[in-house]
Amino acid sequence: MNWTCEQTELRLSDHLDGLLTATEQHEFDAHVNTCARCTPLVSSVTHALASLHTLPQIEPSPRLVYNILDKTLGPRETVTGWAAVLAWFRGMNPQRIAYGGVSFCAMFLMIASFTSFNWKKPRVADLSPVNVYRGADRQAHLVYARSTKFVSDLRVVYEIQSRLQREDQLPSGQETTTPQNSPEKNPGRTDGSGPTSPKQQNRANDLVSHAVVLAAGCPALWELWEGRIR
Amino acid sequence: MRQHNRRVFNICYRFTGNRTEAEDLTQDVFLRIYKTLASYRAAHGGFATWMTSVTRNLLIDHYRRTKRDRATDSLDDAMTVVENKESTARRPDEQALLGELSGQVQSALTKLSPELREAVILRDLQQLEYAEIQRVLAVPEGTVKSRINRGRIELARILQQMGVRPS
Repeated sequence: MNWTCEQTELRLSDHLDGLLTATEQHEFDAHVNTCARCTPLVSSVTHALASLHTLPQIEPSPRLVYNILDKTLGPRETVTGWAAVLAWFRGMNPQRIAYGGVSFCAMFLMIASFTSFNWKKPRVADLSPVNVYRGADRQAHLVYARSTKFVSDLRVVYEIQSRLQREDQLPSGQETTTPQNSPEKNPGRTDGSGPTSPKQQNRANDLVSHAVVLAAGCPALWELWEGRIR
Repeated sequence: MRQHNRRVFNICYRFTGNRTEAEDLTQDVFLRIYKTLASYRAAHGGFATWMTSVTRNLLIDHYRRTKRDRATDSLDDAMTVVENKESTARRPDEQALLGELSGQVQSALTKLSPELREAVILRDLQQLEYAEIQRVLAVPEGTVKSRINRGRIELARILQQMGVRPS
């Protein structure tokens, strides 16, 4: 069967929609590939179809829905006063509001506690910027002093532990708590030998007194300390 | 309604090529549907098909109503086209900037006759099946196929005249 130009034009959409049978498709292709009239026709219609498919979906304006509702269901009632406020709250997301409220309260509590706000006897004067600044400044200094003391205490504990471990490693005959003279008389030695200068002796005494105080606060450490003394 | 208004609006927009007219027509479509909802029978097809049918009828009514206005406009358009052709002959770079493909395709679409235009829109833009188009247009399937085929060929011819050629 010879496929004609008229047939090609009539069945063009079937070809584009994939509705031709295998035989028809073969004959269609055979004709289009050899026909000077049909080749550009098929090409241009294929291009037009592809162009149509590239057309985007257009978004209607948001007011269109309200206009349709107004036209079909009638104009909406205008809500005023508390009803409007309640309607506004109803439209909001309660989870987000709760999360925001909790975050705000937590932040307020943190700031208030940092500025030494007295919760038992709250005063308006405590909220003035000068008092807030003074309170924050005082708190900052307190935090700094406490942290410095904490670091210092940690350092003392560490030094005591180091010294006790060093004494454990020494032979039993040399076990003593009495400071030994350094054979080389070098100040600031770290080889486990005792202090050689009055300054070092004072420091060692200071450490011992710190250790006693700390050990008194901690029973386990106290027992350990008693064992060392004996 | 929120589910369907975008589809109805797009059909109207592609048919008229005018956003304001499309929005007005979309409102009219929903008003008509609201009033005639009782006449809908599920046995005659899906709700979307029925809605498309109502849209199509209103578009055809609108087309007939505004035919006289368009006759005047078409003369102005023809003059504009001539002017554009002259200017584009001199300034091809401007034409490239001004004439985006989607705008040209939309312009070509509105130049099709209403019968061919609605068939092409329903088939190639709304991706309706032949049977659904047959129900919407209330014509035999052969006529639907013929209109779609002629619409595509005519569209390709208009696009070629506008200078939009396959690359």
